[in-house]
Amino acid sequence: MITPTEAPASQPLLSVRDLKVHFHSNSGWTGKLTRVVRAVDGISFDVKAGETLGLVGESGCGKSTTARGILNLIPASGGTVELEGQPISGLSDKQMLPYRQDLQMIFQDPFASLNPRMTVGTIVREPMDIFNLHDAADRRLHVMRLLDMVGLDPRFLNRYPHEFSGGQRQRIGIARALAVQPKLIVCDEAVSALDVSIQAQVINLLRDLQQRLGVAYIFIAHDLAVVRHIADRVGVMYLGRIVELADVDELYDNPQHPYTQALLSAAPVPDPTSESNRQRIVLQGEVPSPDRVYPGCPFADRCPQVEDRCHQQAPQLIGESHQTACLLVNEPVGDEPQ
Amino acid sequence: MNQPILQVDDLHVEFRTDDGIVRAVNGVSFDVQAGETLGIVGESGSGKSVTNLAIMGLVPTPPGKITQGSVRLAGQELLNNSNKEWSRVRGNDIGMIFQDPMTALNPFLTIAEQLTEVSKLHMGHNNAEAIEHAVEMLDKVGIASAQKRVFDYPHEFSGGMRQRVMIAMALTCQPDVLIADEPTTALDVTIQAQILELMQQLQEDQGTAIIFITHDLGVVASICHRVLVMYGGRVVEEATTGDLYAEPRHPYTLGLLHSALRWDQETEGELRAIEGQPPDMANLPPGCAFYDRCEFGQPACTEQVPPLVQLQQEQRRHACLVNIHAPQEGSE
Repeated sequence: MITPTEAPASQPLLSVRDLKVHFHSNSGWTGKLTRVVRAVDGISFDVKAGETLGLVGESGCGKSTTARGILNLIPASGGTVELEGQPISGLSDKQMLPYRQDLQMIFQDPFASLNPRMTVGTIVREPMDIFNLHDAADRRLHVMRLLDMVGLDPRFLNRYPHEFSGGQRQRIGIARALAVQPKLIVCDEAVSALDVSIQAQVINLLRDLQQRLGVAYIFIAHDLAVVRHIADRVGVMYLGRIVELADVDELYDNPQHPYTQALLSAAPVPDPTSESNRQRIVLQGEVPSPDRVYPGCPFADRCPQVEDRCHQQAPQLIGESHQTACLLVNEPVGDEPQ
Repeated sequence: MNQPILQVDDLHVEFRTDDGIVRAVNGVSFDVQAGETLGIVGESGSGKSVTNLAIMGLVPTPPGKITQGSVRLAGQELLNNSNKEWSRVRGNDIGMIFQDPMTALNPFLTIAEQLTEVSKLHMGHNNAEAIEHAVEMLDKVGIASAQKRVFDYPHEFSGGMRQRVMIAMALTCQPDVLIADEPTTALDVTIQAQILELMQQLQEDQGTAIIFITHDLGVVASICHRVLVMYGGRVVEEATTGDLYAEPRHPYTLGLLHSALRWDQETEGELRAIEGQPPDMANLPPGCAFYDRCEFGQPACTEQVPPLVQLQQEQRRHACLVNIHAPQEGSE
C-alpha cells in the first residue's frame, strides 16, 4: 500500500485539506425532501509561494466552487483551509478581512466585474483605501504605477470601464487584485472571455507579474492549452474531486487517469496534421448530477476502462509527485500488495 | 468544378450607430461547395457573424443595411427576396445553429412544438407526421428515448443535449447549407467532441455544406476543409486548412496561429501575442486595417486596402502587399 503524501517540510502558502462544499436545497411538494449537491467533495492540495496551480475540469466539476470555498465566499461544509499555517475556513467576514489582503481574485467576466460608475483610478485605489495602504496622498501615484505595470497608460486613470476593450478591462481587474500586494491570486477563468490574440497578451502579463512579484496563482480554467502554458502543477477535477494532480508537463505528457486521458484526447489542437492522425476517446453521456452518493469511483459510469470493482471501491488520490485517484492505476490487477 | 452551392460576392453591410457608421462587412466574397465545411475565423468584431446574418437575411434593419453585393444559393439571388421568400429559404434551404443553446430555444414550448414547426411549414406535414419526423431526427442526433423526450421542455435538457436538439431542428428539412455560428463554444470539450463527430457524420449522410464560424483554431484544424480568415470586416486570407496552417501568407493569420495554444506541446518563454487592439470599426483606416498591429508593415500599406489576390495556379487568396516569408525562406 502506498501512503498518501505527507505535508512537505517547508510550509506551503496555502493548504487545503478535505475541503467540502455541499449545497442543500429543499424540493418536493412539502419542501421536505432535501437534495444535497456535493459540489466539492473532499479535495486536498497545497500551493507553494510563487507557484501556479492549475485546476481544470468541465462545467459543474466544482472548480469555481473550490475557489469560492477557499476564499470563504461561500461557507465550506467540511475540511480545512490554512493560509501560512493560519486556519481561515469558517471565519466570519470581519475575521476574514485581514486575510483578504493576501488572497485576491480575478474574475471571468471583464464586463460584470468592474463597477461601471467608478473610474479606473477609483477601482484600483479602493482596495488600498480599505486596507489603509500607503499614505493617502501617495495612492494616486501607486495606482498609476500599477496601471503601468499591467500595460495600461497611467493617464487612463479618469476613464470609465466602458471605454476599454475586454482585454484592457481584464488588465484593470489584475491591477485591482495587485493593489494590496497579495500573496495568492485566484484567477477564475480569467482569460476565457478574451479573443485568442488578446488571451496570449494577458497570459504573458500574468507570468511576467509572477516573476517580478513572486505572487502565487490558483488558475482555474476549462481550456487545457491555456493551463499548460501558465501552470506549474495541474489538478484535474471531476464531480467535485481531484482525480489527478501532477507537475504540468508530466500530467499532459503522461496522463494516468482515464478521465484525464479522455479530456486531453477530446481537446483539438491547432494543427491539421496531428488532428487527422489523432485517436479520439469519445466519452459517452455527460457528467452526471453531483447530488448522488457514489460508493465507488464517480467516473465509473462513463469510464472506457471500467472494471467491476470500480463501482464498489472508492479510489483515493495517492502517489508521490504524480497523484492519481484510480484503482486501475493505483492497484493494478495481479499486483502483489507491498 | 461544379457550381458552388453558395456564392457570396462583394458583400457590404453597415450599421448606423451613435458613434457613426460602423462598416461591419466591407466587400466579402467567397464560395461554398456542396458537401464541404468552410471555416470562418476572426476576432470579435471581425464581421464573421454579420456576414452570415446577411446570408440568412437576418441583418436587423434598421440599424443595419446591406449596401452592396450579392448572395446566390444554387445560382438564385437571395438579397432581393421578400420576407415571404426568405421564410421559404430559412430552415428549408439554409439551416442555422447558434452559439448559445440556452437562448436559441423557446423555454415555453416543448421540443416537439419547436421541431414540428419547421417540418409543418416547409414539408407540409400534418401533426402526426411532423412528430414522427421529429422523433426520427432526435434519434439521429443521438438523443436517447426520443419518443418520450420529444415532449420535454428545453430546461429538461443539458447544454450538450440542447445543442443536439438545435442540430436536429436545423437539419429537419435537409438544408443545402448549414450555418453554424460558434456551435460548440459554450460546450465542454468532451461534449464538443461528440457534437463535432455528429456534425461530420450528418454531413457525410446528407451532403450538407457547412459554414463553421469559430475563433478556435483547434476546432478548425479538426473539421474544416477550407478556411476564411476575416479581419476588420474583410477577408484577409483564404486557403485549404492544410495550406493555411502550413504556410500562412497574411501576417494576421500568422499571428493567430502563433498565439493559438496547444496543450500537447510546451512553449519556451513568452507566448507570441499579437500586440495592440482590434480596429475601431466605426473608424477604419484608409489602408490595411491590420497595419497598426503588423510587424511587417511598410509605408505602402497605409495608402490603400490591399486587394485579395489569387496567385496563378493556386487555390488560395491573401490580402497583403508584403511577402512575409521572404526574409527567412526566399520568395517563391
